[in-house]
Amino acid sequence: MKKATKALSLFLVSILAVGLFAGCGSTGGDTAAGDGEKLRVALILPGRADDVSFNQAMYEGVMAVAAEYGDRMELKVVEEVYEVADIEPALMDFASEGYDVVFGHGFQFMEPIIKVAEKYPDTMFCLGTGYKTLANTCVYDVHLQDGGYLMGVTAALLSKTGKIGVIGGADASEIYRGHEAFKFGARSINPDIEIQEVYTGDWTDSAGAKEAAVSMYDSGVDIIWHSGDGIGLGVVEAAKEKNQMVLGNVADQSVLAPNSVVGGVVYEWKSVIRSMFEDVLNDNFTNRQDKFYWITAENGGLTYVPLTDVASQEVKDQVEESYRKLAAGEIEMPDFDADKTA
Amino acid sequence: MFNSLLSADSIISVLAATIRLATPILLAALGGVYAQRAGILNLGMEGTMTMGAALAFITAYHSGSLLLGVLAAIVTGVVYNLIMAWISVTMKANQVIAGTALTILGVGLAAFIYRNVFGIQSLPPQVEAFSVINIPALSKIPVIGPILFKHNILIYIAYLLVPFTWVVLEKTVFGLNIKTVGEHPRAADSKGIGVAKTRYAAMMIEGAYAGMAGAFMSLGYMNIFLDGIVGGRGFIAVAVVVFSRWHPVRAMWGALIFGFASALQLRLQAVGANIPNQFLLMLPYLLTILVLISVSKKAEFPSAYAKPYSRMER
Repeated sequence: MKKATKALSLFLVSILAVGLFAGCGSTGGDTAAGDGEKLRVALILPGRADDVSFNQAMYEGVMAVAAEYGDRMELKVVEEVYEVADIEPALMDFASEGYDVVFGHGFQFMEPIIKVAEKYPDTMFCLGTGYKTLANTCVYDVHLQDGGYLMGVTAALLSKTGKIGVIGGADASEIYRGHEAFKFGARSINPDIEIQEVYTGDWTDSAGAKEAAVSMYDSGVDIIWHSGDGIGLGVVEAAKEKNQMVLGNVADQSVLAPNSVVGGVVYEWKSVIRSMFEDVLNDNFTNRQDKFYWITAENGGLTYVPLTDVASQEVKDQVEESYRKLAAGEIEMPDFDADKTA
Repeated sequence: MFNSLLSADSIISVLAATIRLATPILLAALGGVYAQRAGILNLGMEGTMTMGAALAFITAYHSGSLLLGVLAAIVTGVVYNLIMAWISVTMKANQVIAGTALTILGVGLAAFIYRNVFGIQSLPPQVEAFSVINIPALSKIPVIGPILFKHNILIYIAYLLVPFTWVVLEKTVFGLNIKTVGEHPRAADSKGIGVAKTRYAAMMIEGAYAGMAGAFMSLGYMNIFLDGIVGGRGFIAVAVVVFSRWHPVRAMWGALIFGFASALQLRLQAVGANIPNQFLLMLPYLLTILVLISVSKKAEFPSAYAKPYSRMER
């Protein structure tokens, strides 16, 4: 009996210690002071703000907009709220404290937001990827198919071996759309191109992703696009080691391996975050239904890193032309989500 | 499609990847053999490895020396495992609960330390990782050369530790003491072998091995640190120790089987095998479970496995 109690208390102490450290990690940029007209914003991230990807891109976007607002905005950031069981209480906490805007950055926030939003009509909830909405909620998402398409075109044009690869974290939402569009884009240039595809099933197992990339390069692939996250770093590392080409995602990754990173997709959440805030402040939010804020090539939120000189001027022009068409909405792509959300 | 899978280049690529993917599991499993032989089941290995990976990276980054990074990881592993040793040997607590808690603590603490050192940066800090060493002559042998003799130094060390571990456990008095305190601590005690002392020593050795496995992840495999960089390999290592029936050579085969399954599933996905990727991702784990089931009948656990020893109780 004594032993059991001891074990239990040790266990609890460790859990507490973990909670303590996790709590310390979440230092939000509290921009206090100012008048009563402050916009109070809470950002709930499912992962860590420095995950080099999904969470970090959002974190940096919100921080940048918060800096623009200065003391007209109060921001609270919470990290690592991943379990659905933790999400609902977190949402309710902020809503009951009178926050104006609460971000739930991830698909798993969808059901909790729909549930909580009904009870707190004065709080606006923003969901990062998903499809259900209410009057006081919206969805923001990235049209990664635009980026995927462009990278597919780029890879097909740059490949000398006729073999290209794509590596992603998990087969989910925008990543899936990106991958499918990558294949679609590549085949639009060369219908017979060989495309190798791997999902590592994990966002942080960079070693596994590196191994996947090495095996692709070994089999004759000479260019890979990775759809971001910690695993993307593994792919870049493999390209560096094998001296082959790689295309980045989310941010310009050239500095990681200047000789290997030949281009990439870049997108930032800043512009959609700004338009969400503007709509909330200008009472242009609850009056509308089905609010979707997309980052697309069309609205300029999604762009690409100029190709390095590995690419000939001709290739650069062709990629530029594809981007122009994407931005003009001239490229018809299948609805990759249709078979997923059905 | 499958022809490309069976080409010589492809087979060499998969087997070389097998060697690399098996290395962190092998290192941790070899350490686990010492601890489990001494009667301690340490499920906190994942935490030890993550701590090792973080401290290795931080030290290498600031000192510019990869070797110092590895040493820091080894010291970290030894110190971190002392917590588990204290809980399980001195406090005589339940090892499964303590180990699980130490995994959670280790991963959280490593992330916390890393964040405090580097803050939030838009691109991760990097070091120059251990480079590949081509063994002269041997690396020129066709097929075998590229599979076995084109790796970085930590990989060679990991495989050299297999015979070393075997010698320590089978041919030295210290190894015999470890096995004795795991089999029959009371008998060991009456013969004047310090049960607590030996178990502490075994745990410290395990910590050194696991710390090095962590260093391999952040400095050998990659050149960065991420929270999830160990990716469950610490738990697989615990399973491999049981699979090996506490034998270093069999532990090597266990790690290689897991490494092979991981390498194979990546290749199968890449060539577009008509199997959903989720199933292929399960392959290494499925294989581990199947192998565990098939050998579990033969597994004779050390008699004092996961049991604290007290002179007063009988």
